[in-house]
Amino acid sequence: MGTDRYAYASRLRRVDAVPKLWLTLGSLVLCISCDSAAVGLVTLVLMGALTVALGGQKPAVLLRFLRLPLAFLAVGCLPIVLRPLPAGEGALWAAELFGRVRWGITAEYLRMGLMVVCKAMGAVAAMYFLSLNTPMTDLTQALGRLHVPKLLVELMELIYRFLFVFSDTARRIRVAQESRLGYQTPRRSLRSMGELVSSLFLRAWRQADRSYTALESRGYTGSLDTLPALRTPGRWLYGVLAAVAAVQILTWMAERSWLQ
Amino acid sequence: MKWYDTWIRRGAALCMALGLLSAGASAMHIAEGYLPRTWAFAWMAVCVPFVAAGFFSIRRKVSRYPKAKMLLAMCGAFAFVLSALKIPSVVSGSCSHPTGVGLGAILFGPTATTVLGLIVLLFQALLLAHGGITTLGANVFSMAIVGPFVSWGVYVLLKKAGCKPALAVFCAAALGDLMTYVTTSVELGVVYGNIGSYLAIFAVTQIPLAIAEGLLTVVVFNILEKYSKAELQELAVL
Repeated sequence: MGTDRYAYASRLRRVDAVPKLWLTLGSLVLCISCDSAAVGLVTLVLMGALTVALGGQKPAVLLRFLRLPLAFLAVGCLPIVLRPLPAGEGALWAAELFGRVRWGITAEYLRMGLMVVCKAMGAVAAMYFLSLNTPMTDLTQALGRLHVPKLLVELMELIYRFLFVFSDTARRIRVAQESRLGYQTPRRSLRSMGELVSSLFLRAWRQADRSYTALESRGYTGSLDTLPALRTPGRWLYGVLAAVAAVQILTWMAERSWLQ
Repeated sequence: MKWYDTWIRRGAALCMALGLLSAGASAMHIAEGYLPRTWAFAWMAVCVPFVAAGFFSIRRKVSRYPKAKMLLAMCGAFAFVLSALKIPSVVSGSCSHPTGVGLGAILFGPTATTVLGLIVLLFQALLLAHGGITTLGANVFSMAIVGPFVSWGVYVLLKKAGCKPALAVFCAAALGDLMTYVTTSVELGVVYGNIGSYLAIFAVTQIPLAIAEGLLTVVVFNILEKYSKAELQELAVL
């Protein structure tokens, strides 16, 4: 499902999840904090290169995932760039849209929109370094070691397990309905959809019931303890974190001195 | 004004509207890195008391009734799969994903929904790149706090006022859905200004979706009431 399939094939899979988490969070926070387009682009290139070079992901896969947030960014940046302008203000392009109000694009807001897009793409690349190189089960165990409450971690593990069961069930029901022309008219598709969701709920409920019975008959006392698999500590990733942070900060300083 | 100017403008408006309709589906989660640092952390801070309250209420329930943990996990996975389904929209040709906010709040109550919503949104960010880690606070606030509390409040109020259950469920789901989008546009608007445009974009794309989700929730609820009374009664324990 999504990035998970690629995470299991990553070369960094056997590396402990904690340093990978810190590398992602560190570069993410720096990328957000600098408020500069250059830092965003540098983060995008660096973290993308790390995912490809260290994780061994194909560049095409990474590019496909990087395209996903573009739809939101396009919609989200439109109101930043295109604004109602007070009369007489200089603009790159302006016209009377939606009645009598003058709307336009000014250089200042165009720069702001570009900055937001670059920054967001850098942040997305940083997040993909984590999700394309770390299977979710490793991540939840790492969260447990970082003192996230045990109940929350167990809920995450159980939800993750059930995700695959239920999305498979939903897919099968959907295929069965579509092969019986269940989505031909809007009215019928509303009904089919309602039946899908409610029977999914019922099956999910029974599945939970059966899992609980199975666990209880094997001596379940309220927590699922498993032994963590062997992982290399991966402390060298902290060195990578320092290097990425240094490049980000140098870029930020260079951009500031260049702009002044 | 040149003669072709109006045509260019009309064409641009049409392209915009079509683009927005198709992008509406993924527009409900604020993307990673879109919010500046101060706002990202501020929204996380706002969420902390709600998540903590939800966590403690879940912990109390689990210690009294151990099976609750399994059932809650099931509910969380159900919400994730629900939001990945495509719903038929009122506007033919476009389709979108339900938020599941209303159904979750009516079935599981608003506090449990907050914690489940946090986990589901984290999974969506990491697995599907819907939303993100730094914008998790803002997304949790709009989709796991405001939406469920509005839905639940509307549902309880209308039921007390003696409305038909179907009407109460419809209003709860549709209003919860709409308030989620209003919150998202306010979250974006306070940062970048121009709240009106964000609201307009979301209104155009989301009102049909809110109606579709309201109708869907009514259908689901009717079927559940008919065939799974026993499960719903057990759910009342949660």
